[in-house]
Amino acid sequence: MSDLALSQSAPLAIPRGNGKKTLRIVQSLCILVIALVMISPLFMLLIASLKDDRFRILADMGSFRAFWVSDPTLSNYKEIAHFSGELAYGRYLFNSLVILVSTVLGGLVINSMAGFVLAWGSLRGKAVLLALVVALYVIPQESIIMPLVVMMSRAGLTDTFAVQILPWVASPLYVFLFYQFFAQLPKELYEAAEMDGASAFRIYRSIYMPLSLPALATVSILMGIESWNQYLWPTLVTQTDYARPIAVAIATFFGQDSIYWDRAMAASVLMMIPVLILYLAFQRWFVSSFVGSAVKG
Amino acid sequence: MTLQQTSVPALRRPAKRRDKQRLWQEMAMIAPAVLLLAIFLITPFLLSFWTAMTNQPLVPRPTPVRFVGLLNFERVFTDPLFWTSLWNVTRFTVWVLPVQCGLAFLTALLLHQKLPMQNLLRGLFFLPAITSMVVVCVIWGTLFQYPSGPLNQIVSFLSGGTIQPIDWLGDPNWAMFSIVLLSAWQAYGFQMIIYLAGLQGIPEELYDAARIDGASALRRFWHVTMPGLRPTHVFVLVITTIQAFKLYTQVAILTQGGPKESTETVVHYMVRAGFEEQKLGYASAVSVILFVIVLLIALLQRKLLRRFDV
Repeated sequence: MSDLALSQSAPLAIPRGNGKKTLRIVQSLCILVIALVMISPLFMLLIASLKDDRFRILADMGSFRAFWVSDPTLSNYKEIAHFSGELAYGRYLFNSLVILVSTVLGGLVINSMAGFVLAWGSLRGKAVLLALVVALYVIPQESIIMPLVVMMSRAGLTDTFAVQILPWVASPLYVFLFYQFFAQLPKELYEAAEMDGASAFRIYRSIYMPLSLPALATVSILMGIESWNQYLWPTLVTQTDYARPIAVAIATFFGQDSIYWDRAMAASVLMMIPVLILYLAFQRWFVSSFVGSAVKG
Repeated sequence: MTLQQTSVPALRRPAKRRDKQRLWQEMAMIAPAVLLLAIFLITPFLLSFWTAMTNQPLVPRPTPVRFVGLLNFERVFTDPLFWTSLWNVTRFTVWVLPVQCGLAFLTALLLHQKLPMQNLLRGLFFLPAITSMVVVCVIWGTLFQYPSGPLNQIVSFLSGGTIQPIDWLGDPNWAMFSIVLLSAWQAYGFQMIIYLAGLQGIPEELYDAARIDGASALRRFWHVTMPGLRPTHVFVLVITTIQAFKLYTQVAILTQGGPKESTETVVHYMVRAGFEEQKLGYASAVSVILFVIVLLIALLQRKLLRRFDV
């Protein structure tokens, strides 16, 4: 909003010729064209999902018909949006949503509390903990996955929601992001609240949380995308439909002799919707706050 | 600490009790994260070193698990397929770095100016980055269709029909390159955002000063923009490299490491050893090697950043 106000008032301060304005419009049109080229595969996906014949989808792909459908139909979606049976994509989508929401909500609370204590707590050994968090960040998920699968199956957690949520709720990266965000807030804020006799949790909840919308939004988007796109881990710990997420289900299309592109496309569109909503909801804070700080971390 | 200023002796005792209470509360607040990280990150991490030195199978057998020292590592290092997979991810990294980071840098430069519909444009460029890799595989699986898919049509159109259709995913010479294309398209959005943040961090006064000195746009780019982005470049290159070495999903879905092992990667090799051949100890050795590679890249970043004085 403030950007808009600025650009509108600019002509008053510095008189500009019409030529410059035209140039800017041409420039942004060019950028728009590049953007459209970059997202044309996604648009094609949406269009193809509305065609009911998988052979026609492939035949149309090579021409401009890939971007046009004269007789759109939702039959592909109706075919796959079941909650049981072979094409239970309704269920897989629901499973993924449960996993996403629990991971993000749990992660926001747990990582931000830890970040808060690391930033303002009076705990001794805080510095050591912080160094440990930074060090743990280096460990890639892929290199702990082998023993973790064995641990989880011994604990009888195979094929549950918990096994897809619990391991990824606490994360060194997000503890660090919250720590960094809280640490840059003024010291007086904490001291004033402490003087008033507020408890640590109270300060965290009533003062720091309301100020943390940008950090909460950033972490929500990052965690949400991460959770939504998990692939390797759920293929290893799910065996039945019970807790199978939609990413794993869509990948099974590729195991067949002849790929049902029509259904795969519809399932893919279904999979894109929730994360798109998440992104649109938080995008305003995300772009402005994301990793400006992480570059130095 | 702050209460000392009041310096009323009578206040001291309750204050101390409150300090203790605060300490408990802080511990309770940090405990969930510490506990979860200890169980789900530190334990399996330490276990992987131990498992790597045993002959443990995936499914427990009646025969006891034996300690075998560095035998697994010796076997990994003498397996030609492991070296192929390492070579492949190196190849992938060398190709994906310029394509993905270049694309990210270019789009960031284009977007770093006052534009009408600015947020919409940024959102459009970022869309592929929020698209799940599985969905990306569905999309590009159709784009790569042989012989008459969209990409082959474009190639044929641009070359006037002189270039024969390419079997993007089926030809060992092309398969990894095709994986590079779809990976770069999927992931450049994140690097673009990081570059945008980096560009915003360069003070406007530097540009003004250069302009007053009569520097051309090109010179301003070389002498103001590029030096200002040095830490950003290092950060972007390092996270892209680490990401590239962990290449798995797209390969597992589209090529399963083929054709002729031309897209076999370290993580795919590890998962196959662990879950198809059920050699957990052996797979853990691979995972330890992967960790060492990632650690080395991260240390390199730290060194480079220090060198650039930031």
